[in-house]
Amino acid sequence: MNTVDFLFENTPSKSKIALITAKGAYTYQDLLDNVSHYSNQFHSWGISVGDRIGILSCNSLFWIASYLAILKTGATAVPFAATLSPDQLDTYLSSINLSLLCIEERLYRRLGSVVQKVNLFRDDAKFIEAAAKPAKAAEHVDGSSDALLMFTSGTTATPRLVRITHQNLQANTRSIIQSLNLTESQRIMSVLPFSYCFGMSLLNTHLRVGGSLVLSEGMVFPEKVLDLMDENECTGFAGIPSNYQVLLRKTSFPKRDLKHLKKIQQAGGKLPTILVNELINCRPDSEIYIMYGQTEGTARLSCLPPHLLKQKMGSIGKGIPGVELRVLNEQGLEVKPGEIGEIVARGENVSPGYLNDPLASQDKFKNGELVTGDLATVDEDGFIYIVDRKSDFIKSYGNRVSSQEIEACILELGDTVSVAAIGVPDLVRGEAIYVFISVKPGSTLTPNSVIDHAARRLPNYMIPAKVIFIDSFPTNGNGKVLKSDLRKLLEPAEQNINPL
Amino acid sequence: MDLEFTIREYIARNLLFSEDGYSYSDDASLLNEGIIDSLGVMELVAFIELEYGISVKDSEITPENFDSVNNLANYIRGKLA
Repeated sequence: MNTVDFLFENTPSKSKIALITAKGAYTYQDLLDNVSHYSNQFHSWGISVGDRIGILSCNSLFWIASYLAILKTGATAVPFAATLSPDQLDTYLSSINLSLLCIEERLYRRLGSVVQKVNLFRDDAKFIEAAAKPAKAAEHVDGSSDALLMFTSGTTATPRLVRITHQNLQANTRSIIQSLNLTESQRIMSVLPFSYCFGMSLLNTHLRVGGSLVLSEGMVFPEKVLDLMDENECTGFAGIPSNYQVLLRKTSFPKRDLKHLKKIQQAGGKLPTILVNELINCRPDSEIYIMYGQTEGTARLSCLPPHLLKQKMGSIGKGIPGVELRVLNEQGLEVKPGEIGEIVARGENVSPGYLNDPLASQDKFKNGELVTGDLATVDEDGFIYIVDRKSDFIKSYGNRVSSQEIEACILELGDTVSVAAIGVPDLVRGEAIYVFISVKPGSTLTPNSVIDHAARRLPNYMIPAKVIFIDSFPTNGNGKVLKSDLRKLLEPAEQNINPL
Repeated sequence: MDLEFTIREYIARNLLFSEDGYSYSDDASLLNEGIIDSLGVMELVAFIELEYGISVKDSEITPENFDSVNNLANYIRGKLA
């Protein structure tokens, strides 16, 4: 089944509100009219099954209608983060051949010089009252064909594209709905970008159950987000750790009534226990779901149900319906309680692999299982606790940052000899980026000049929080820098969570 | 130096990474133009605290105070008065 048909299969009434945005509220009928209008346009330009179409937009009716129209024509959607810098976008665009790029007008103003090589569908900011031509049926697609290509930066500086099939998308959407018990009465405050798999899963699940979404421009003005939740009687909120850190520590969230807020979802990294407890204390009447996921698993893999939150504090729970999670030791055997191993996932939600990257796919997808790269233990009841990441990502403000990309940027400074970036647990950022650097004798580089350079070249979330000059780097026998030893150079207080 | 000019220059260099100044109007919404995200707002807060020696309360981080060059300038003038 085409995912568009799947998403609207159970729509209770077309006159029901689907979206609430700053520009207005839209019913399911409005949304479907826009989707038809866009897909008719795409058809008239010769777009068909197998074409790849990019989306570069903040969360909006335009984003959603473009996404659904792309799927409807049988093409593959390729979402781009709206926060990409011009240089990054250029790199990302050169990694894939797009037939068309759907671009929001304001982003065109900022990034127009970079997108000239691509055919563009520009948001004319006009809401389509009704489709001029009758709506065509969605193209038939094979379940194993690509619905989405999702960017993930991975361990290398070059972005990778994760293939997500129609079957992956539908399976994961069903699993999430079941584990959260979502119904048509849900109205979620959506602050996560749809270009991020967690954000996109909110869109898919809420459309599928016939619920509604309130869109905001991220968490730029957190009090405004809370006002929107109040005004629109939101029943749900979903966020990554940094969203909760801001809400709990820097806004009126703990004191607000928000009496409709019943379901709270947290994923995208570990929320420190102290903040989970604050959340429980200030929202005693809400169900809090702790989840874990990866783009390579479509979006979500595990869930800790609310009634076990206190008892299994720190756990990511168990596999959601349809997802089998196991923690395996180096011999490939399931670990005993307390033993550390790597999480592997099996299920219909597991991607068939990266696009045009058989080597990376081989490492990440073995025998149809997703090798997550996350190290974990399991307790006597089978609940999984993540210990650390095997690979070398830094999770800064919810973004998966490649330390190599930061290092490459700083190495552009001529006086740099060696550089290594690590992530240090941080209540606000998730992980703060600390950069160790050694320089040539007589260099005039200072921590501030290094940060200034990074700030010019990289997006905000990749800018180092701290730059530490050292004379030489600890290395292993092959000359590879030992990042674990670098951590030992930090003050004890910095090796753990910084108190706010 | 003119307050609006200082803000425009700061945003151009630090949020738009542009050497060519600020090409939007002083009334343009920073949010609607895609100029700021949540990190950008934190940077603006840090900048005006440092530059003008004022202390920004969390409850003051609203569109009315932060969403355009004019709003920012008015907010800073109010705090300095």
